[in-house]
Amino acid sequence: MRLLVVEDDPLIARSLEQALTPLGNTVEAFTRHADASAALRHDRFDLVLLDLGLPDGDGLALLGELRERGDTTPVLILTARDGIDDRVRGLDLGADDYLAKPFSLVELEARVRALLRRSQQRIDNRLRLGALCFDSVAGLAYLNDTALELPRRELALIEGLLLHAGNIAPREMLERRLFGFGEVGPNALEVYISRLRKRLQGSGLRIRTFRGLGYRLEEAEA
Amino acid sequence: MIVVDGTLKTRLALWLLATVASLGLLLLVEAYLSATRAAERAYDSQLEAAALTIAEAVQWQDGQPLVEIPLAALQIIATRHQERVFYAVLDARGEPLSANLDLAIEKRWRDAAAERPSWHDADHRGQPWRLHGREFDSAGWETQDPVQIWVGHTLAGRRSLSGELFEHAVTRFLAMVLVAGLLMFLAMRVALAPMRRLRHQLRRRAADDMRPLDARVPRELQELAETLDNLFARQRNSRDALLRYTADASHQLKTPLAGLQSASELALKSEDPNAWRRALGEVHDGAARTSRLANQLLSLARLRHVADASRLAPVDLGALLRETLLEWADRDLAGAHDLGLAPLPARPVLVPGEPWALRELLGNLIDNALRYTPPGSEITLGLNDEEESVELYIEDDGPGVEPSRLARLHQPFERGGRQDTEGSGLGLAIVDSIARRHGAEWRVENRTPHGLRITLRFRRLPGASVA
Repeated sequence: MRLLVVEDDPLIARSLEQALTPLGNTVEAFTRHADASAALRHDRFDLVLLDLGLPDGDGLALLGELRERGDTTPVLILTARDGIDDRVRGLDLGADDYLAKPFSLVELEARVRALLRRSQQRIDNRLRLGALCFDSVAGLAYLNDTALELPRRELALIEGLLLHAGNIAPREMLERRLFGFGEVGPNALEVYISRLRKRLQGSGLRIRTFRGLGYRLEEAEA
Repeated sequence: MIVVDGTLKTRLALWLLATVASLGLLLLVEAYLSATRAAERAYDSQLEAAALTIAEAVQWQDGQPLVEIPLAALQIIATRHQERVFYAVLDARGEPLSANLDLAIEKRWRDAAAERPSWHDADHRGQPWRLHGREFDSAGWETQDPVQIWVGHTLAGRRSLSGELFEHAVTRFLAMVLVAGLLMFLAMRVALAPMRRLRHQLRRRAADDMRPLDARVPRELQELAETLDNLFARQRNSRDALLRYTADASHQLKTPLAGLQSASELALKSEDPNAWRRALGEVHDGAARTSRLANQLLSLARLRHVADASRLAPVDLGALLRETLLEWADRDLAGAHDLGLAPLPARPVLVPGEPWALRELLGNLIDNALRYTPPGSEITLGLNDEEESVELYIEDDGPGVEPSRLARLHQPFERGGRQDTEGSGLGLAIVDSIARRHGAEWRVENRTPHGLRITLRFRRLPGASVA
């Protein structure tokens, strides 16, 4: 994947490069708004990491320009401004995610992976995490490339979890997917989750429960 | 915002002008009346003098009055203007013995004049006249019929005299207005001088000069001056608090920075890669602690110095709680804890609030719980919906806090006696600030057998509709 980093602090730019290159990415870093803008006009990137406080212009302006052109390259905003207003403004202008400085590199890597996965899924219509894959066109789930014979609700559950893969899938969302808007018992969802857990045993994936909040499909640490 | 609504000078001047104008109108009416009255009196006595002069010239011969009109009498009543004059001497039957005009004297006037000398206004050939008549008896041995002497003139003389008198009065009045206006202007300057002095003093003040005012002011300005002093005092206090806070904050920042410095310095001196590794770990932790501290100091400063409670709008506390908790549960920091949400009330729970501040409040509560409890601890947040209020709580099954320290937890840089965590001791100070902004009461208590529970009680907005 080709990543574009727009960041004027050399220390941060270097650590971004060092953190993201081992994940199989090519990283190009620019320290100025004008250079980055020119590069974006001539080249295609898979993800832009954008610092808002550039010395020669406003990062939000660059973002606006990009979206104005109809360019849908995912953008992750990095900024030391932590005001909610800035965050809302950035997301309004079409940023895909937002990370306030200082951030941990682990957090950054997770966000980058999620954004790249999401943009990849937009392209091939498949939701994927580890060995689990859901083809949203065919409506089929695969584990280790073997199609799973599953009832409708379990398929809906897999799709819901994969849509948020790596993040918590809120339980309200999952309940609506599985049971519609009707009243459901508090344990109905839990029944389906435990069935799915059994199927995923030994697949390198697990479902973590967040009490009252939802479930997260994640890769089990080796 | 300051809206300029006219000037004090204009306002004073307008009122004074209105007063002077209405007084002036009264004075002018009075002056006109008295001028007219004076002219009347003067000319009436001239008519009387003329009539007496004529009376003296009446001679009696064989019981018949002989009238020779003396020139002096006519001169008396003919004023310097082109005044027309009239005289007549009538016998007892009212027939003229001598007259210069055919001006008829009415019977009732003659009767009145028989009683005592009298004055009348008459109209002759379209012109107003003033007439005076008196009866005259001969002072002799033989009794004669009395004669009546009538004199009169047109009104030109009177009018010109009263006009002249009135003019003088008006001139005097205008001069008075002029002098009064001048004095008023000076008086306004003198009266407004304290305000000007106060203004100059305020303008000369240095931006950071918060000392009380040192000015002599009249009683009317006392309240304003005291209010200003009060404002200065409050600013002084808030500046002092800010200075204290900045000093505290830089002291707090210095501690982890010193750690960073010494750890890196030691590593640079060492040749042992294991020591570098250890030092790098320490540097990383130190940097994380410092940046968290900087963030908290910033939000506390913002909370303390943006004391604008007017922006409170209805917020669905349940939705906000779920949203914030989802975000926190996803973070790396929460990976080792069991962070959960108790079932929320079915209806929306609306409280007046600022969403960013409430998110900050929840964030600090969660962050504190994660940092001050061992991995694997259960942390639960929830809402208890009551009739008038709503209770937001966070509880954990960690070690709790020593009872003697519970009351001091909301003070900045208070860590509940713990030195073993990355905490800065600012979290609950921020919570306290935000709770105050929202008029919420909060309390901390230990749970049995162990753990901590923090409860915040918010005022609930009536109705369940989300704005």
